[in-house]
Order: sequence, then C-alpha cells, then structure tokens
Amino acid sequence: MKMDSLDPRIKRWKLQEQRQEEYSSSSLDQLPTYEVFIQLKEGKAFEHAGIVHASTADMAFLFAKEQFSRRYSCTGMWVVASEQVWVTTYSELEENIYDHIGQPAGEENDPQDDFDVFHLYKRGKQHKHVGQVKAQDTRMALLKAKASFDTGRPVLNIWLIRSINIQASTPEDQVIWSTLSEKTHRDVISYRAGDKLNKFKEKHNEG
Amino acid sequence: MKGNQSQSALKKLLYNIADDLLILGHRNSEWTGIGPLLEEDIAFSSMAQDKIGQSLAIYELLHQLGEPHPDTVAFMRNANQFHNCQLVELPIGEYQFSLVRHFLFDHSLLLRFQGLTDSSYEPLAQVSQKLVGELRYHVMHADSFIRQLGTANEDSIGRMQTALDIAVPYALGIFEKSPEEEQIISEGIFTGEQNLYDAWCREISKTTSLTSLKLPELNPEQAITGGRQGKHTKHLQLLLDEMAEVFKLEPGAEW
Repeated sequence: MKMDSLDPRIKRWKLQEQRQEEYSSSSLDQLPTYEVFIQLKEGKAFEHAGIVHASTADMAFLFAKEQFSRRYSCTGMWVVASEQVWVTTYSELEENIYDHIGQPAGEENDPQDDFDVFHLYKRGKQHKHVGQVKAQDTRMALLKAKASFDTGRPVLNIWLIRSINIQASTPEDQVIWSTLSEKTHRDVISYRAGDKLNKFKEKHNEG
Repeated sequence: MKGNQSQSALKKLLYNIADDLLILGHRNSEWTGIGPLLEEDIAFSSMAQDKIGQSLAIYELLHQLGEPHPDTVAFMRNANQFHNCQLVELPIGEYQFSLVRHFLFDHSLLLRFQGLTDSSYEPLAQVSQKLVGELRYHVMHADSFIRQLGTANEDSIGRMQTALDIAVPYALGIFEKSPEEEQIISEGIFTGEQNLYDAWCREISKTTSLTSLKLPELNPEQAITGGRQGKHTKHLQLLLDEMAEVFKLEPGAEW
C-alpha cells in the first residue's frame, strides 16, 4: 500500500519507500483487558471507570492512570483482570437483582477469602464499590452480599472480585496525582477557532 | 543570592533544565498517533505534554528573571543557543530507544527536581515541589517498561540492550558541568551534577538489576558532552525548524 501523509513525522520516516509487511501475528493482536476503578476523593467509594488492554497488572496500572485520572485529580486506583470479575445476570427495568438471590443455607465451614462487592444502580452508569464480604466462593459471597448490602433499592447488576486479585495504588503512589495546577496548555478549550474563522471570513468577504 | 553573577549561574541552570524538557517533550510527542498500542500511545503522549508544561514552568521563572517571553525563547532560538544535553535531541528511533532514553533521562530529572526542592532560590524550590509528583509517575512508567521488556524474551531483551548501549554515553552527558557549577553549589541553588550523577547511577542500577539487561560501564570519560555549551548534533536544528514552523509564519499572532 502506498502511503502519503501530510504529517511531517510520517514523511520523515519515508514509509513510502519501504515495503509494508503484512502483519499476521494473531497471538499478539489482542492483549487481555483490565477493569479500572477510581476513587475521586478520600472516603468516597471506588467506582468503575473503564477498561485498558495490557500484558500485566503493572502495565494496566500505568495505562489506567493516564486514561482515567488525567483530567482531574484522584486519591486511589484499583485494577483487576477482567476475567477475575464475577458478574451476575442483569435485571430488567427496575427489578432488584437481589430479589432473585436466596438466604444463606446454614453456616459455611471456613470462609477465608475477602470479596469486594460492586453495585450497578442504573443502566449507563458505572459499578460502585459497596463493601467487602468474607466467603469461601462466589456463590456464598453473593448470599452474604445480599445479607449485608441489599437495602431494597434496585440493584441491576452485581460484580464480585476476590480482593487479592485487585492491584491497588499504595499511599506512596498518591504523589503521582499531585501535579502542576496550571494546566491550560492541555486544554483545547482555550483555543477558540470559531470567532477567528468568522472574523477571517468577514474580512475576506468585504475585500 | 541576588548578585548579578549568581543570577547568571541560576539562569544557566534553568536554561539547561528547561531546554532538556522542551526538546524531549517535543521528541516524545512524535509518537502521538503511532505508538505501539493505543493505551501506551495515550500515556506516552500525555507524559510528553507534561514535559512541555514543565518546561513552560521553568521558562516562566526565567521570564521573571528578565529573560524574554517563553514562546520567544522556545521558538526563536537556533540550535547553538540551546543548552539541552544531546541525549534528548536524538531522533526517536525505534520504540525501544525512546523507552530507554525516557528511563535514563527521567530518573535524572526526578532526582534533580527532588534535590531542587531544597534550592536557595525559593521560586525554583516551589516549582520543583509541584513537578515531583508528575515525574514520579514518569519514572514508574519507565521502570515498569524496563522490567517488562528487560525480562520478557530474547528479542525484547536484545533490543533493549542495544538501545541501552547506544544511549548510555549520551546519558552521561546529562551531567556535563557548566563553568558556573561551583557557584551554583556554593550559592545553594543546587547540590551539583556530581551528586546528581552518583544518585542516578544507584537508581538506574536498581531497576536494571531486576532484569536481564546489563548496564554498560558508567564511565564519565565516555560521556558525550557539549550540549550544555550549545554544541549539538545535526538533529536539533531539524527539530527546531519543525517545532517553530507555524510560530514563525507570524511570530506576533495571538492564539
């Protein structure tokens, strides 16, 4: 494919003169995804922000920081491999998903794992962290989540994540969110082309 | 610390720092849109933008000391008037080279600004305090990539090693002393390039020791210097021409 670009960087690379090799490594096409949760203020609940592709949780953390906490400051971030997120079915309309979940049948033997519980209250919004339960498996964790967090307010969907699978920012990491306060050089907003364009048109129509 | 002499020493230090930031920021921005994966494209571009913002903060300090407006300083000088080290002006190369440069340079930058938080020049100490946070992330990013690609497989280790071997002599040029060095130290403006170099050696070795990469011998005699005195590779003027192309169409234009 012949490539011609107005971008001086691309021109400098003289790609036109090189044979474009077919890219055919399907194993490298797609990295796994990680879910990213952000805490906007000290004491507020962590909330799902989106996903990033990355090869490891460490790399996911790096990418997440720039993608989801760039425009505003935040106080903490969690990343977790998407495959580690256990998801209930979605309820329809205003139905509470907890209404479909029974009561714990007797005590379990040895609840060892911590699970973090996330609620979705409204379609189009993000999952919010509501707390932790101790349980042996996700089935039991769900029953315990109902006992602890079902207030009757409709919850449309629930996520459960084993806490050990969450890579969390440490208090020492917090400094990465304290940045230059003067960031107008990053805002496209300060560049108002409309007025200038109109002025230019007027000037040239007159002439 | 208000004598004319020490002010020129202070200005020299500030120009070294700001020019490094501007040139590397511009270089790294060349990856925007063509980075190796979308998430990394965003992260690397964002850090490039941080660096340009940091250079602006330092050019503002210079402006307060009577130097021309930051735009004038950034866009209207020729290569021989720039004080950046040669490391930052080299072309982006393949991605491993840009990553290795980012690793070698940003460690020095973080340490430099950490040191400058104690500067006797109060405005500089205050700006440095603010920059340290951003730079902590830049270094975290660099270290993660070095660890990842420095251990992943033969291909990645080989590429990173080659880039490291090429970049290290230029990186040693970061610490080129200016004639004002003694004065910068005695006035308490900065603890000096030698201290910075020693700390830098410790920090970068810490990261490379966790990988299969071999840090080339750090021998100051092999440093590629001259940048701090305005001696540059041919790449810098080309970069400046491109960077200032729009500005020079109409230098007085309001944006």
